[in-house]
Amino acid sequence: MTSVKNALEARQNKEYVSALTELLFQLADDDFILAFRGSEWLGLAPHIEEDVAFSSITQNMMGHAFMYYQLLEQLGEGTVDELAHERSGKKRKNAIMLEKVNGLGTYLQSPKFDWAFTVVRHYFYDVNKKIKLDCLQDCSYEPLKHAAINIRKEQYYHLVHWETWFKQLVKAGGEAKTRMMVAVEKVWNEFDDVLSLGPRGEVMANYQLIDREDVIRQTFMNTIGDVFENLELGPLPKLKEMKKSGRIGEHTEDLEKALATLTEVYKKEPSSSW
Amino acid sequence: MSPLTKLYGERTEEEKYEYFMERIEAGEKIEADDWMPDEYRMALIKLISMHAISEIMGALPEKEWVPKAPTIHRKLGIMAKVQDEMGHGQLLLRVAEDLMKPYGKTRENIMEDLFSGKLKFHNVFHMEAPTWADAGIIAWLVDGAAIITQTNMLNASYGPYSRALHRICAEEVFHAQHGESIVLALAEGSKQQREMLQDALIRWWPSLLMFFGPKSAATTGSSKQDITIKYKIRTKTNEELRQDFLTKYVPRIRSLGLTIPDETLRYDEENKKWIYKEPDWNEFKKIIKNQGPKSMERLTLRRIAYDNNRWVREALQ
Amino acid sequence: MVEKDQKEHGFYEVFEVFSKRSHTSPMQYQFSLLAPNHEMAFILAQENFMRREPVVDLWVVKRSDIRKMTEEERDLLKRLDNKSYRLTKGYGYLRKKWREYEQRMFDEKEIFSWGETGDDKRKKRTGSKAK
Ligand SMILES: [Fe+2]
Ligand SMILES: [Fe+2]
Repeated sequence: MTSVKNALEARQNKEYVSALTELLFQLADDDFILAFRGSEWLGLAPHIEEDVAFSSITQNMMGHAFMYYQLLEQLGEGTVDELAHERSGKKRKNAIMLEKVNGLGTYLQSPKFDWAFTVVRHYFYDVNKKIKLDCLQDCSYEPLKHAAINIRKEQYYHLVHWETWFKQLVKAGGEAKTRMMVAVEKVWNEFDDVLSLGPRGEVMANYQLIDREDVIRQTFMNTIGDVFENLELGPLPKLKEMKKSGRIGEHTEDLEKALATLTEVYKKEPSSSW
Repeated sequence: MSPLTKLYGERTEEEKYEYFMERIEAGEKIEADDWMPDEYRMALIKLISMHAISEIMGALPEKEWVPKAPTIHRKLGIMAKVQDEMGHGQLLLRVAEDLMKPYGKTRENIMEDLFSGKLKFHNVFHMEAPTWADAGIIAWLVDGAAIITQTNMLNASYGPYSRALHRICAEEVFHAQHGESIVLALAEGSKQQREMLQDALIRWWPSLLMFFGPKSAATTGSSKQDITIKYKIRTKTNEELRQDFLTKYVPRIRSLGLTIPDETLRYDEENKKWIYKEPDWNEFKKIIKNQGPKSMERLTLRRIAYDNNRWVREALQ
Repeated sequence: MVEKDQKEHGFYEVFEVFSKRSHTSPMQYQFSLLAPNHEMAFILAQENFMRREPVVDLWVVKRSDIRKMTEEERDLLKRLDNKSYRLTKGYGYLRKKWREYEQRMFDEKEIFSWGETGDDKRKKRTGSKAK
């Protein structure tokens, strides 16, 4: 597969551009919705210094989503803000695990958010994000390859940040470890979706957009398996099969509520400049 | 021998005070572990812990708009702005914590004092922010007012506070511009957007005047301005700061075609002073006693987040 | 004022944060933060104090590991301003002396210029021209 230099070239091949678009929506929507969940934590994190650091990670992630939406904009999918604010749940390709609420309550009322869940979800997500970004260093679509080269540099901090939290809270034992193990189970039960590239994964791999899904999955399982072993958490359980998949636009109530919140002002006057 | 020519260990307590005042007069900075009169330490603890906790509580009204901000660019901008406010809280808490250390007090005590109502937070952060335009007005004018009070203390005699304020004010420049950007977009926007902006201005005006505090203790029964001026923590009085605010912001507000809800507001050329309608200082007293429209709700939010995550802090102790 | 046992209150420890802005700049003190341990202090430091400036290196130091001076001990640092013999300003007369031998003074500017490469010199020249 020779490299494809820009949107114009990509559009010469219908199958190519549709697989590319699909991949970009997954990448963008994943970062966007998890960044939204991160933004709900602002001001409410367990420790003030962490609140500040966490917000930088959230901003970075939303910035990454922005870059992917920009690539979609170049491919004629609509403007960045239309893509982020006007698409209904059915059109969103993010994994279901990433849209799940942070815990009980809302960010405005009784926010009994679950820090253990947040740490585990972010950590596992970032392990996988890193693997995907590694693959994208060889992506056939040049603009995506370049975006991934830049994003990968910034994302390394995210990975180390969540890894530090994950390991320390697990090692702390007692209540913290119990909470962490509950969170691990919760995240693990619905993580299959995050590792999925959706029905067009094959085509993506054939066009050298990204590695094959089974290769990515294997790398992920090996990485997390090592972490489990080092922390003496026993063997890695098998991932559960899921009834729904965000990769084909199937979502939960949580996403609908999130979309209502994040588009509240935009929808007042979508055509206005804000 | 004059107290100033003596070695530190040779000075009596009174001479230490004299030497301390001499250092302040000479523009030297006092550091955390230096000798300082109790009155100075107490005034600093009170001022800085209130400043710190106001930054933390101040994040809450704007935070309501972080996930809702209309575009990705605005979402990022307001997130960075509210993050800075949490960061200001961090800087100031560290300064306050070091001052409280001799009393065996920590950040936990500051939080407990907030929840018990012992430690007050700034009047503006007890108010409602029901629309996106409120987020704009807060960043533009509440931060504008905060810039005026904070720059007034940039050269505070207490070194750690002065250094924290230098960091804070550098970020406030971004906050002011972030606020202007939101406000200008609304001012130049649709009828609905302009109305939203005008309504927000009407809502915030009395709070903005109150922001600088009463003219003197006679107005509300207490004012710390004299002690802070004596020890060169600040230089200007509450009223001087309010006048500065009006001078800087009234023309800008009016230039956008917005109406300030005070028909009596005018600049008196003769006395070189702004004439304005006094805000309701009884209301002010109520607000800072946590009886403002959003006081309890925001305190509850803070407390839930704090209690709910206690296990995290305890796990890593 | 009684110094209470901090462990009784048990909050996080104070870490001092230092950073370098570029590879040629010195380590600079930034601010302090609370963290439970060094690793945690590390992942919090940059985003708390250097969100808008470049950082190429970072140190965190537990405050309790720093031996600070007390105010009393700072009297140890005082000295008289009569040490011109160890400063170049005490040897300024040499300029005139060397002139008598039709030689230039090897002053600080001159001596430091010996370490410059051709590149540095060119940069300096174009730099000053631009001004
Ligand atoms: Fe602030
Ligand atoms: Fe601010």
